[in-house]
Amino acid sequence: MSAAEFRAVSQVFGDFTAVDAIDLTIPDGKLTTLLGPSGCGKTTSLRMLAGYLSPTSGTILVGGRDCTTTPPEKRNLGMVFQSYALFPHMTVADNVGYGLKLRRTPRAEREARVTEALEMVGLAHLAGSRPKQLSGGQQQRVAIARAVAIRPELLLLDEPLSNLDARLRLQMRAEIRRIQAETGLSVVLVTHDQDEALEMSDQMVVMKDGRIQQQGSPQEVFPAPANRFVAEFLGYENFIPTNDALLTVRPEHLLVDPDGVASDGATSGGVSLPGRVTDLAYRGVDVLVTVEARAEASGDPVRLVADLRATTAPDLRVGGDVRVEAAPGHVVPLPAG
Amino acid sequence: MRTRRLTALLLLPGLVLLLAGFLVPAALMLLSPPGTGTADVFARLGQMLTDPYDLTIIGRTLGIGLTVTVVCVVLGFPVAYLLARSTSRWAGVLLAVAIFPLLLSNVVRTFGWLVVLGSQGAVGQALVALGIVDEAPQLLYTPLAIVLGLVQLFLPLAIVSSYSALAQVDARLDEAARGLGAGRARTFWTIVVPLSWPGVVVAATLVFAGSITAYTTPYLLGGSRQRMLSTQLFQYSSSTLDWAAASATALIMTVLVFGVAALSSALGRKARIA
Amino acid sequence: MSTRRPVAASLAVLGYLVMIGPLVFVVVTAFTAGSTVRFPPDGFSLRWFGAAVGYEPFVTALVSSLELAVLAACGSLLLGVPVALAIHRGRIPGKGLLEGLFLSPLIVPELVVGLALYQQFMVGLGMNNFTTLVVGHTVLMFPYAVRVTGASLALVDPSVEDAARGLGASPVRTFWTITLPLLRPGLFSAALLSFVTSFNNVPLSLLLQSRDFRTLPVTMLDYVQQSYDPIVASTSVLILAGTVLVAVLAERTVGFAKIFGGINR
Ligand SMILES: Nc1ncnc2c1ncn2[C@@H]1O[C@H](COP(=O)(O)OP(=O)(O)OP(=O)(O)O)[C@@H](O)[C@H]1O
Ligand SMILES: [Mg+2]
Repeated sequence: MSAAEFRAVSQVFGDFTAVDAIDLTIPDGKLTTLLGPSGCGKTTSLRMLAGYLSPTSGTILVGGRDCTTTPPEKRNLGMVFQSYALFPHMTVADNVGYGLKLRRTPRAEREARVTEALEMVGLAHLAGSRPKQLSGGQQQRVAIARAVAIRPELLLLDEPLSNLDARLRLQMRAEIRRIQAETGLSVVLVTHDQDEALEMSDQMVVMKDGRIQQQGSPQEVFPAPANRFVAEFLGYENFIPTNDALLTVRPEHLLVDPDGVASDGATSGGVSLPGRVTDLAYRGVDVLVTVEARAEASGDPVRLVADLRATTAPDLRVGGDVRVEAAPGHVVPLPAG
Repeated sequence: MRTRRLTALLLLPGLVLLLAGFLVPAALMLLSPPGTGTADVFARLGQMLTDPYDLTIIGRTLGIGLTVTVVCVVLGFPVAYLLARSTSRWAGVLLAVAIFPLLLSNVVRTFGWLVVLGSQGAVGQALVALGIVDEAPQLLYTPLAIVLGLVQLFLPLAIVSSYSALAQVDARLDEAARGLGAGRARTFWTIVVPLSWPGVVVAATLVFAGSITAYTTPYLLGGSRQRMLSTQLFQYSSSTLDWAAASATALIMTVLVFGVAALSSALGRKARIA
Repeated sequence: MSTRRPVAASLAVLGYLVMIGPLVFVVVTAFTAGSTVRFPPDGFSLRWFGAAVGYEPFVTALVSSLELAVLAACGSLLLGVPVALAIHRGRIPGKGLLEGLFLSPLIVPELVVGLALYQQFMVGLGMNNFTTLVVGHTVLMFPYAVRVTGASLALVDPSVEDAARGLGASPVRTFWTITLPLLRPGLFSAALLSFVTSFNNVPLSLLLQSRDFRTLPVTMLDYVQQSYDPIVASTSVLILAGTVLVAVLAERTVGFAKIFGGINR
């Protein structure tokens, strides 16, 4: 069963289409990420799902019910905002208990559930504090506890980690996964960070200009990007045009051979191109080698970047002639254009 | 759709009162007062702009307004500058003392000048006691008295506006300029003044508009001898009940104030671009 | 700070002298034992304070002024806060124009507004002066309600309100439990400013007086014009004391400087 569903949903602001007829199924009990660059319509999609924006057209289902025109307070979804949006005039416990109070949950049960939610995020000891007294990471956890306390049908998070520092971000990735596993909630998480999406998702949805480009598990999407946009977004940097397709290879999968002799791989679906080194960037663990190569089919120049381990990299110099190669398993064909 | 209706519902009562209790009566009064018509108002306006007596009043109003504005900026800006740059604990107290008069009744504030400038007042008595004059001079009912009263009234406003602007100018810019070899005066004129200029424009506008429309002070300190537009307007509308003249005077005051506001927003925009 | 900037410091001293000096003389005069406003005062007594408190017209006018100021402050908030909400949270076109419209009573000379209301309401429609005064003062205080609460509304993160909705609160409930408590400092500032401004107003009230309902400042103004005894000085000192009390209240709650001119120290 699906937790939620978008059917041909569009959002038009004036003459600008922010979300363009998307169809999307949010699976039950899984973590789905919406991934894409700034302005691609992630927040807009999430706000439509939560009920803060009415779609210009299309239907939104939550738990099988048509919710397209239901106001947010009647949807029972837990939303975590990018700015956390904690109520500054209430204590942490009152923040977490707010939704339960509105549901007229009896006092004893309410307190138990507030404590339970705060324990889940490890902040039971801060129940009496004000949001202002907490660090960013702690505020984030309170926001999650508050959303989870109402036992929502779906937990929605808009870029929950973007305001945290790098170390905390890694820690919270794991924590959100743990909370998802513990509660069994269906989660939708918006992010523009591909590593975050890869690490956290059961299902990832890549968007661009209000349209879905590709969706599937990280294991499905990462090795087989559907088009050049998705490939670039996931860190594929080398694009080699051939007669019938566009081939793409990740920098860490390119080999640079200073002897310039073609190996067997090139013939059976791999890549092997002659070229000249134009730049060497030493980065400690690895070396980035930029090579000006020539496409076999058209003879057009192609700029290739190889990411080699510094310890095993061959001896290269700028201006030297080389051959760049990739094994067949690492070369992904994309639809041309 | 529902939020639109809610928004309209929120706006409606306020908008109705604003229209019925302000905009419509003001428009009717200015353009078609009872018993006369728009033509009468403009005819009277034409007379006023040529009649020497009326022109004296307009000239006096503008002259006093300009003088008060200049004095308020010249006195208010240094106060604001010293307070904004001071690290002393007393700066906060002094700022509060400068703001406090904004809360205090104009009648009370202006009454003070009667005590100071009146024939039995402090200044006159002091001059007599020092033997400088034989008889206390008439200081009240002079343009000087009005200017003093209005400066007292509007100086706090000038200080507050300049202070807000100055507080936003990073004090480290002063230090940077000093570090580059600019003297104290040069830093003030080349860094501090240009950066806080928009605040000065706001201050000057508020003071000028306030001065040419104030009533209490010209009434108490200028009396019938030194009429300004405001006291003249009151005269027309309370004793002579000359509605056309009252409307024409009100029109002059309103146009002046809106003109100054427009000029100031143009100047402010220019300052922001520069 | 004074020694290093002699020119600025001298000008500043002059400025404070003009602002505060006359008030000192008023205070001194109020304690005179004589019967004229003169300097130096003739002896020391509290008789003029007794006279002020016992002077019927002033006491009646004080009550009227307080009544009017409270009504105007409440009225402008009651009608103005919804306007601020609509401007800052509603989805409507022409927000800038709308806000300008509600701030316009600040620009149009008060005397002109007073004349308009006198002529159109009292003379034209035969309305009584109390109602006219309440309408006039309420409209005049709109700018404070709309701008001051608007400014504090702009500081409230809209996603806080969204969060309340998501947790199950209706729009009305969200307003009462989230928005309103967060607006409290702004509301307090606006109420205080409106109250004080209305209480002190002369130009708007001037033409709208009647024998039954007169405000204190206008009554004092008439009194000064007719006779010249120190009762006005003592009344002024009492008003000064009351204003200091209001200022202290403002400082203790929202912060004095913040209310006036949005100075954040
Ligand atoms: N209320 C609105 N009116 C007009 N345009 C809007 C509105 N809300 C969003 N947009 C536009 O819609 C597009 C998508 O916005 P959205 O906030 O969904 O992007 P996003 O994918 O969340 O981006 P980001 O990563 O920057 O948060 C943007 O170009 C934005 O400018
Ligand atoms: Mg976004």
